[in-house]
Amino acid sequence: MRDTPRISLKASASALAVVLAFVAAPVKANEALVDLAKNTDNWVMTGRDYDAANYSTLTEVNKETVRRLRPAWSFSTGVLHGHEGTPLVVNGRMYIHSPFPNTVFAVDLKDPGKILWQNKPRQMPTARTVACCDVVNRGLAYWPGDGESGALIFRTQLDGHIAALDADTGETRWSMENADIRVGATLTIAPYVIDDLVLVGSSGAELGVRGYVTAYDVKTGEQKWRAFATGPDEEILLGEDFNLANPHYGRFGLGTRTWEGDAWKIGGGTNWGWYAYDPTEKLFYYGSGNPAPWNETMRPGDNKWTMAIWGRDAQTGQARFAYQKTPHDEWDYAGVNVMMLSEQEDKEGKMRKLLTHPDRNGIIYTLDRTNGDLVSADKMDDTVNWVKEVQLDTGLPVRDPEFGTRMDHMARDICPSAMGYHNQGHDSYDPERKLFMLGINHICMDWEPFMLPYRAGQFFVGATLSMYPGPKGDRQNNLGLGQMKAYNAITGEMKWEVMERFSVWGGTMATAGGLTFYGTLDGFIKARDSDTGELLWKHKLPSGVIGHPMTYTHEGRQYVAIYYGVGGWPGVGLVFDLADPTAGLGSVGAFRRLAEYTQMGGGVMVFSLDGEGPYSDPSVGEYEVIGAAEKL
Amino acid sequence: MKTFAATLAVGLAFALSAFPALAYDGTTCREAGNCWEPKPGYPERIEGSQYDPQHDPAELSKQGASLAAMDHRNAWRVWHLKKTGSFQYDVSKIEGYAADAKPPAQ
Repeated sequence: MRDTPRISLKASASALAVVLAFVAAPVKANEALVDLAKNTDNWVMTGRDYDAANYSTLTEVNKETVRRLRPAWSFSTGVLHGHEGTPLVVNGRMYIHSPFPNTVFAVDLKDPGKILWQNKPRQMPTARTVACCDVVNRGLAYWPGDGESGALIFRTQLDGHIAALDADTGETRWSMENADIRVGATLTIAPYVIDDLVLVGSSGAELGVRGYVTAYDVKTGEQKWRAFATGPDEEILLGEDFNLANPHYGRFGLGTRTWEGDAWKIGGGTNWGWYAYDPTEKLFYYGSGNPAPWNETMRPGDNKWTMAIWGRDAQTGQARFAYQKTPHDEWDYAGVNVMMLSEQEDKEGKMRKLLTHPDRNGIIYTLDRTNGDLVSADKMDDTVNWVKEVQLDTGLPVRDPEFGTRMDHMARDICPSAMGYHNQGHDSYDPERKLFMLGINHICMDWEPFMLPYRAGQFFVGATLSMYPGPKGDRQNNLGLGQMKAYNAITGEMKWEVMERFSVWGGTMATAGGLTFYGTLDGFIKARDSDTGELLWKHKLPSGVIGHPMTYTHEGRQYVAIYYGVGGWPGVGLVFDLADPTAGLGSVGAFRRLAEYTQMGGGVMVFSLDGEGPYSDPSVGEYEVIGAAEKL
Repeated sequence: MKTFAATLAVGLAFALSAFPALAYDGTTCREAGNCWEPKPGYPERIEGSQYDPQHDPAELSKQGASLAAMDHRNAWRVWHLKKTGSFQYDVSKIEGYAADAKPPAQ
């Protein structure tokens, strides 16, 4: 006799309830975003997915076909000034952002010549006067919606607001004040969605703004938590296990103890770069920026926790670890740069979850992102001179006093300059080649501090800078200000490197087609062979580039898109017509030849093989006369 | 001899001025995560020194006050959105708004 398993009705009901509950449970935003990111039709966040690796598995455009890339369509934002970041593509639409006035556009990829909606916020024009380095914005965030609410687009505004827009209609759902321009605080960072939270950073360290990151409820705008970079532990949100794995980094009380008096209240440490997230660890990662003022003599101490790589719990904001890369910064090496996540075997062959961060200070750091262990810290170029080495066991940089700065002293030939050997560019990681594709600055500087008082809302820098090409550039002609490099974080070696005329400011995108794309300040989008660095293709854009490329498929065809629009810190001399070489915090002198190659502009250029796209059929988007068929 | 001494003094002065303020390399720590040292010739504390910026405490408090005021207005906006389902940015148009009182519990 066959033995039939007996299942009680009660047990069956329980099991059914569990199943139904599972089926009925709304898909969490994280899972939806992860799934959307897996589909090459989408580019749902600034770094493509939570790894922030800017890597695409697409191969239609590859080493053999890339020479056939041609413009398929373009879109002008109608705004000049620097266009940083990259557009988003979700479910057949492209969402495009602009610098101040921070207009957002939605277009249908089937007919991008028709604007589906645009949202232009009203802002106080005085916001422009407190922005340190042009009026840039780094992008948008997408929340996919749930059973209650439709999808949302999040936008930051230069005047300090964070706004939620209906992704379908563009209508503003809510708008909250996050930063006050009257005290010098602005917003340029791209918001970031984790679960039902949207994270927002802060800008304004050049005006003494004390940095913070804030989480808001996506549906209501309600503040869930805020974590500062300086001050008392309870305001920095240090978890009980903070730096438990690496107590030598420092643990508690240092946010005030490493400052004199109340200097931490105006001590900077803003975060305006990029975020990454590990859904398994439930930690997000970002960098806090430079201490204020730049004049180091005015702020004795290590100035914790400016200049740190952070790992924080997304739901509570509590920090699990922080590693300060440049204690007591003397050079404005603001540590906000991109965090790229990878899983690789370390030198001992142990598979590890890693975080790699090319810092302004010329060092590229790799940490174990589960606990903050320092795995490697290599110079991005052998001309870095402020530091002799980074001790992997202590985490401390061994500074070379010859290149320190101080009052009553003109420090000369410091490498890198305040712009860093790497700045805000969103770079990429190619997992097949285990290479980080780095867009690099090659700029050095002279630095002379001066004293100044703090006045809320006024610039609070205290240093005069002169910048010029690094030793490998052409100092006589003021060119050779950038590089492209392919870096292996485990071996510490650069597989290839090439010089560029100007900084590669915007970042890179790597693809499974064996290509690395990036834009240049002088207005080219280029594709190099990821294995050799050989230049395979380039196209001249209407204006210089400070954003990073992205790629997507639509109706089976691969497209490559990039913003053009010169500006940002390297472009302030050009966009504001400045001539004093020390103006623009020193960038005007360094980039004084940029205007010979490009002028202002602003928009998106989209490429495909042979330029095929929505308008290959010329009838697409044509004016249709109502009743025309009957007349004929 | 006098000339030699003067020359030596000038030479020493030049040598000292040509050298950077040595010693601070960031690796001598008073505790974990606290490794700053004053550079030779510069004070441990700047208060009362020639490098004292003499910050005005009123200026230093402005950022905190501004954040508190923004958070307060935002809390009322959230309260109104939850209560009515519609968003109102201008808090003066929110019924019951008070600059010195939190929104009622919901």
